[in-house]
Amino acid sequence: MVRIVLQLVISGIAMGFVYGLVGIEYTLIWNSTGLLNFSHERIIMLGAYVFVGSMITKIGMGVIPGIAGALLFIALFAVLVALVIFIPLRNMSRMCAIMATVMLGNIINEGVRLYYGPEAMTVKGFLNGIVRIGSLVVAKAYVAIIIAAFVILGLLTFFMKKTKTGKAMRCVSSNKTASALMGIDVQQNMVITIMISFLICCVIGVMVIPLYSVNQSMASMISLKGFAAGVIGGFGSLPGAIVGGLIVGVIENIGGMIFPSTFKDVVAFVFLILMLLLRPSGVMGKKSVTK
Amino acid sequence: MLKINGISTFYGKVQALNNVSLEVNEEEIVSIIGANGAGKSSLMRSIMGIVHPQRGTISFKGEDITRTKTNNIVQKGIVYVPEGREVFTDLTVEENLEMGAFSKKFTVHKLHALFEEMYATFPRLKERRHQPAGTLSGGEQQMLAIARGMMSEPELIMFDEPSLGLAPVIVDEMFDVISSINQKKKIPVILVEQNAFAALNISSRCYVLENGVVMTSGNSRELAESPEIKKAYLGG
Repeated sequence: MVRIVLQLVISGIAMGFVYGLVGIEYTLIWNSTGLLNFSHERIIMLGAYVFVGSMITKIGMGVIPGIAGALLFIALFAVLVALVIFIPLRNMSRMCAIMATVMLGNIINEGVRLYYGPEAMTVKGFLNGIVRIGSLVVAKAYVAIIIAAFVILGLLTFFMKKTKTGKAMRCVSSNKTASALMGIDVQQNMVITIMISFLICCVIGVMVIPLYSVNQSMASMISLKGFAAGVIGGFGSLPGAIVGGLIVGVIENIGGMIFPSTFKDVVAFVFLILMLLLRPSGVMGKKSVTK
Repeated sequence: MLKINGISTFYGKVQALNNVSLEVNEEEIVSIIGANGAGKSSLMRSIMGIVHPQRGTISFKGEDITRTKTNNIVQKGIVYVPEGREVFTDLTVEENLEMGAFSKKFTVHKLHALFEEMYATFPRLKERRHQPAGTLSGGEQQMLAIARGMMSEPELIMFDEPSLGLAPVIVDEMFDVISSINQKKKIPVILVEQNAFAALNISSRCYVLENGVVMTSGNSRELAESPEIKKAYLGG
């Protein structure tokens, strides 16, 4: 019994990190540009398709170079999206901006279907199998997700606390006019932020391949729950997104033990609604700050 | 040093400045006074390239900067300490200072020397160096905004309403700091103020803005004596 609970907690933590990373990925863009990127689900999916469909299958790369290739492609794609769509959009009405990110998602979706075809893909042997930790049996994919999450969070923290560009990113999130008055090129900084966000999407897409295989709706659930994670943790807070993600991940897994497992998703979203009713500012969210 | 030649600035269809000309010479303090909505901040924002004037030109050290982007203007040596302080509330006091030097490539050593210089001017910032700037009081945030502005070693610094919403004791301290910056650093200062009395007191020349137009300008001491100014801005 204890072992089952522990195993559920571990897989819950792994999924929690996925949701948390999704939360971080869209929060970064929200904080920097004020846009909600509704195309993030498709970016995650695109990352997985580029990795499997192009890098591995078509070019025949190994896993590590394949991931590097996919990251490079997504980075360039991010710069294009940032300059052509997101940055011009941020001064328009919110409704236009929301519609445009939704449309971008649809364009990516159709583009992927036309280019890669409608069949689901997978990579043989990629992160398959199990790891034994004492008497616990954990899927290799979950271990990989947890490691990748720690690497991403470590890099992101270092970047935002120690580098000049990262600190400038925090300034842009905090106050755009003042950032420009410090001599920060706000637009260029936004492009970098959008690129980092898309790169995180790409890593998420690659890491969840063993769980969902590569298909067009592979990211719909995680992107929705990642959104929930951000709200539960406190909208706009990066540490909050991770905490929120872990809460959602563990609660839905434990819930899946108590209720029939088909109710797993329901548990997560019921929890989200409860959270919105009882503590709308989130676990780590700021209460209304007076300036 | 700074030369503004007949600029007109609009926000959409609303005209904020109409044919405004202004000049700032080396080592002087120039004050700009006027009521709320007279266009003082619009003038600052036009200089900084946050809004671009539709007509007229702005040049700094002989170089045209009318259409230059804000971050490049900062690089050229003009610093603007905006109205309402606008510190980065989530960053610590010291990080705020560090960001003030963003436009310069200072060594760590130089950066720390500058920190110490700012802490010597504002000892209270040193006590709070690791606190998020959002937790500071209004007066402390204003000190931080001024210190942050000084971190890039500007060649011209502009203060927008530094006394706004501060206790009278702190207001005096603020004006003392501003005139000492002007004297010690030998840089010109533009001071935008609603507190006309204090502004005329510390500046050598003054421009009076009204509805986006320069109504009058001249020697601050003479303006302080003029009946119209006395009536309109000095309360009798």
